Amino acid sequence: MKTRFPTSTRVPFLQRPKRNIVAGAILGFSFLLFPLYFFLAAQTPPASRGVIRLKVRYKSGDSPKDLARKRFFLIKGTLEENKSLIERIKQTDPMSRECYYLGKGASPALIRWLDDNDCDSVYCREIEEKYLSGNEAVPEFQAAYNQGLRDFKTPELARRWLTVNLAADIRDGFYNQKQRTIADLISLAEAATKTKVMSVMTDRKGTAYLTDIEAGTYTISNLVGSKTEKTSILWTCEKDVKAGNLAIAMRPLILSNEKDPKAKCEFVERPLPICEHTK
Amino acid sequence: MVTHQTKRKVAQRISQRAQRILLCVPLRPLRSKLLVKCCLACFLVLVAASGAVVLAVAQTRQKRRASRPSTQQQAPKGSAAKYSGFLHSSEKHKSLTCNACHKLPTSGAAKRDFPDVADFPNHDACVRCHRQQFFTRQAFMGTGPAICTVCHVRAAPREDGRFNFGKPNIAGLAMKTKDERQFTIEFPHDKHQNVIASSRPRRSSNQAAGFIRASFFQPEPADDKKPDYNNCSICHVTRKQAIGAPPAGWPGSFVPPAGTFKTQPHTHDACFDCHWKGQKPTSDDCAGCHKASASFVPTDWPTRKSAKFLHEGGGEGGHVLECTSCHINITRASTLRGLAPDVPIAMCASCHNDNKKVTWKKIVSLTDEFAQLKKTGNCTYCHTSEVGKKKPPASHDAAVQ
Repeated sequence: MKTRFPTSTRVPFLQRPKRNIVAGAILGFSFLLFPLYFFLAAQTPPASRGVIRLKVRYKSGDSPKDLARKRFFLIKGTLEENKSLIERIKQTDPMSRECYYLGKGASPALIRWLDDNDCDSVYCREIEEKYLSGNEAVPEFQAAYNQGLRDFKTPELARRWLTVNLAADIRDGFYNQKQRTIADLISLAEAATKTKVMSVMTDRKGTAYLTDIEAGTYTISNLVGSKTEKTSILWTCEKDVKAGNLAIAMRPLILSNEKDPKAKCEFVERPLPICEHTK
Repeated sequence: MVTHQTKRKVAQRISQRAQRILLCVPLRPLRSKLLVKCCLACFLVLVAASGAVVLAVAQTRQKRRASRPSTQQQAPKGSAAKYSGFLHSSEKHKSLTCNACHKLPTSGAAKRDFPDVADFPNHDACVRCHRQQFFTRQAFMGTGPAICTVCHVRAAPREDGRFNFGKPNIAGLAMKTKDERQFTIEFPHDKHQNVIASSRPRRSSNQAAGFIRASFFQPEPADDKKPDYNNCSICHVTRKQAIGAPPAGWPGSFVPPAGTFKTQPHTHDACFDCHWKGQKPTSDDCAGCHKASASFVPTDWPTRKSAKFLHEGGGEGGHVLECTSCHINITRASTLRGLAPDVPIAMCASCHNDNKKVTWKKIVSLTDEFAQLKKTGNCTYCHTSEVGKKKPPASHDAAVQ
C-alpha cells in the first residue's frame, strides 16, 4: 500500500525554492542576453545591404569618354514603378548654362571661363591672376577684385575672396536654379517611393559607388541632363541590387549613350540649345 | 494672584509629567512618541523662523537694490569656482545672440590678414552681467576672480595672457588642460562637392590633350599646371609637418612621417572666402556652421587602420588616383557626424592587385602581402603590428580574387 502525502503540506515547502531558483536563472539569463543582443547587433554586418558600382561614359565623335563629376541619384523601385516620375524627369528641361549666363548679360570671357572646366558656378576653381588683367581678363572678376581691394587688407586677399563681391546671379545663379529643379524632382521621388533618395558623384573616370543600400530594385538617374561637348544626356536605368560587398559588386552598371540590349537603361540625348544674348 | 498660582501649578504638573515620562520605564512607548512629536514641532518652528528671517533679509536687499538704478542684468551670485568654466549652453548665454559677445571682425590682438573672429570677446561682454564675479570682495579671495580664467591663463590684473581661442593652436598660445569643444561643426561635403566639381583638366598650350594626371596636392608655384580635378585641395592639403602623438601614443610605436595625413580647415578663412557675405551661411551667422553641443565634445585624433599609407607615397610621385576614387562615400556625405575617411580595400586593389598587366610594374600587391603574412604572421606594408597581426578580414580575400 502506497502512502500518499497530502499535497497541500508538501508542495509549498519543496517546490517554492525550486521555482524561485528557476525564475532567478531565467531572469539572470535574460539579463545576460540583453547586452549580448546589442553586442551581436553591432558586430554582425547587415546582411541585406548591397553596393552598386556605376560607370558612366558617353561617345562623342569617335572616342568614348568618361563622364566626370556628375551626380547620379538612386530612386527605389523599377522603371515601371517610377513611370510617372520618369516622364516628369524627361519633360524637365532646364536651361543650359550658356543660355542662363547670356540671359544674365554675362561677358563671353566669363562664359568661356566656366566652360573651360565645365563649371556650374564660379566656385569650381581658383580664379588666377591672369583672369584679372590682360588678354584673358574676365570683366566680372575684375570689378569684384577692385571692390575687394577697397574692402580687404591685401591684393592677395582681394583675389582669394573675390567671389564675395560678385552678384548672386553671376556667382552661382545657374547652379542654384539647377539645384532647385533637382530638389523638386527628389521631393517627388521621395513622396512616391517613401524612401530617401541617395546620390553620389562620379570621379574623373566616370566611376561612382553607391554603398550600403538595401537589397531591391532601383532606378538610377541623373535627373537633369548632363552636359557633354555637344549634347546633354539624361539617363534612367534600372538595377537589381543583391546583398554583397564591394568586392562582389565590382562588375559595374554601365551607363552609356550607346544602346545596349542587355541593360535596362534609357537615355535621352538632346543637342545643346543655341542661345541668344537677351540682355 | 490666582493666575500666578494656577501658572505655578501648571508648571509643576508639567515638570512632574516630564519626570514621569523620562523616568518611568513601563511608560517608554508613550514617552518616545511624545518625544518625537516634540522634536518635530521644534524642527518646524525652527524652519519657519529661519524662512522668515531669510525672506526678511532678501526683501531688505531688494529694497536697497531698487534704490540704486541699474540698467544691466546681473548674474546670480554663486561660488567663485562656478564661474571658472564658461558654458555656451547655460540658459542665460543661450538667450543671447552670438554677436552680443563675439564681434566680427575681432578688434585688437588677432593678427590675421583677413577679417576674422579670432579672439575672445572684450571684457564688456562678460562684465555687463558678471560684475559681481569680477569685483566683489569674495571674488578677490584666494587666487583672484575665478571668472578671469575663462579666457586668461592667470587671474591677475596685470596678466593679460590668454588661452588659445579656437582650434588648433596656430597662435602658439596656452591651451586649456581639458581641450574639449562646446560646438560641433556642420559641413555638408555633398553640397560643396557639387559647387567645386570641375570636370575637365586645365590645359596649358604645351600639355598633351589626352594626358590626365589627377592631383592630391595643393597647387604649388613650381607645378601650377597640375590639374586639380575635384578641388578637395581647397581645404585639404598635404600636412607637411609631423603630427603630434595621440595621448595614448602611436599604435605599434609607428610614428607617421610628414605627408601621411591631410590637413583640415582650421581658420575661418577657409569658409569666409565664399561665405563672407551674400552666400549663406554668412560670416555673421555663427550657428550656420557651429552647432551647440549638449555636452562637451572631445576633439578626435585621426584613426587609420592602414597607418603606413602615405598620400604622397606610391613610388611614382604620389598616389595617382583622385581623392573621390578612394574616398567613395565623401560625395554623398551631408554632415560631418559619423563621417569617416573610409577607403575600402577594394579601392586599393584597383591598383595593388596581382595583375601586373593593368597596374604599376613594381607595385606591392595584396598577394605579396598575403604571402608575407604566411611567412611572418604580420602585414607590414600598410599596417602597424597592432592591425597587421590580426586575421585579415574577408574583404581582403575578396579583393584579390
